[in-house]
Amino acid sequence: MFFIELIICFIATVGFGVIFSVPKRALLLGGGIGVIAYSILNAGLYFDASPVFSTAAASLTAALISHMLARFVRIPVTTLAIPGILPLVPGSRAYFTMLSFVDGEYLTGLEYGVETMLRAGAIAAGLVFALAVFSFGKGVGHRYETNR
Amino acid sequence: MGKSDQVMDICLLAGEIMLTYGAETYRVEETLERMAKAASMKNVHCFATSTGIFLSFEEEGKDDQMQMVRVDDRLQDLNKVTEVNQVSREFVNRELDAEQAHEKLKAIADSPVPYPLWLIHLSAGVAGSGFALLFGGDWPDLFPAFLAAILTSVTVVEFERYLKVRFAAEFAAAFLGGSMAIVLVFFGIGDNVNQIIIGSLMPLVPGVPLTNAVRDLMSGDLVAGVSRGAEALLTALSIASGVAFAISLFL
Repeated sequence: MFFIELIICFIATVGFGVIFSVPKRALLLGGGIGVIAYSILNAGLYFDASPVFSTAAASLTAALISHMLARFVRIPVTTLAIPGILPLVPGSRAYFTMLSFVDGEYLTGLEYGVETMLRAGAIAAGLVFALAVFSFGKGVGHRYETNR
Repeated sequence: MGKSDQVMDICLLAGEIMLTYGAETYRVEETLERMAKAASMKNVHCFATSTGIFLSFEEEGKDDQMQMVRVDDRLQDLNKVTEVNQVSREFVNRELDAEQAHEKLKAIADSPVPYPLWLIHLSAGVAGSGFALLFGGDWPDLFPAFLAAILTSVTVVEFERYLKVRFAAEFAAAFLGGSMAIVLVFFGIGDNVNQIIIGSLMPLVPGVPLTNAVRDLMSGDLVAGVSRGAEALLTALSIASGVAFAISLFL
């Protein structure tokens, strides 16, 4: 059953690639990255890791692979990273947040809302960390001018 | 037309295409600076936010030049970003001269979306139904989610084409997609109404602004990053209010 899920995830991610007009040579690569991210997310959940941590790990892996592949195929990183992280988007949490607020169950809504924010933050954290790894030595000054 | 004028035109056209079709701000700035330096301009500075680009440089022995373009549309077509990236790389490596680069950029600016519209709607349906299943739906939910996601995609595209109002289009698309899902489940097509609605909303997810916001904030473009983040948040809010409207009406 999990294998079928992976196939569906691949097809859906490629579909998202078409929605974002990803160039043809990057479509299948993006789908592959999406499948890897989804399987890491589910592996984390299977081994009882927290959803936020699993999302962060999956997002980090997807972003790292996109950075490497982007150097290799010579296309902007975002064309690979955007479809790659889409299977991690906490769509169902966000929906249930909205549903609880509509039903007037504000506490449940806040609970779901916090989880949505944390998962979205985890995706961002993975992206940021992968970017940091690939921009060592190229970043912007931040605190002291140590090289003077 | 002097050489610096021509370089200015090429650079700003490249930047405008990239920014309009969903490149990160840092990529726009870096590309323009590289291209201007490759055309042997001195003192090159570029500042881009998510709605405009400033570029200034000076040609050896002549006056400074400074121009800006305002970018109103923010569309998603990553293919064009990739192609401009390619042109700029070839221009920097001197495989293209200024004339050829300008011609190529104009061709990119005029070219249509790489995939026909029906294919985009179809893949929105496929993606929506796939995610309805991945988020915990069952097999009977595939078909209604497919239909609802196609309706969402068609609505958002056609609303933007004729009314040209951004967040209203997303509100209407979320409302119609959600209503379609509820109606289909009411007539017995599909079981889990929640998963079908989630699937029908997935084509609206603001993936490009969200990713770019993170990227821009990280590379120090704070203005661009925060404004992109606000854009993504507004899109998310209009989707949520659209579907909330549908649910409180019909469910």
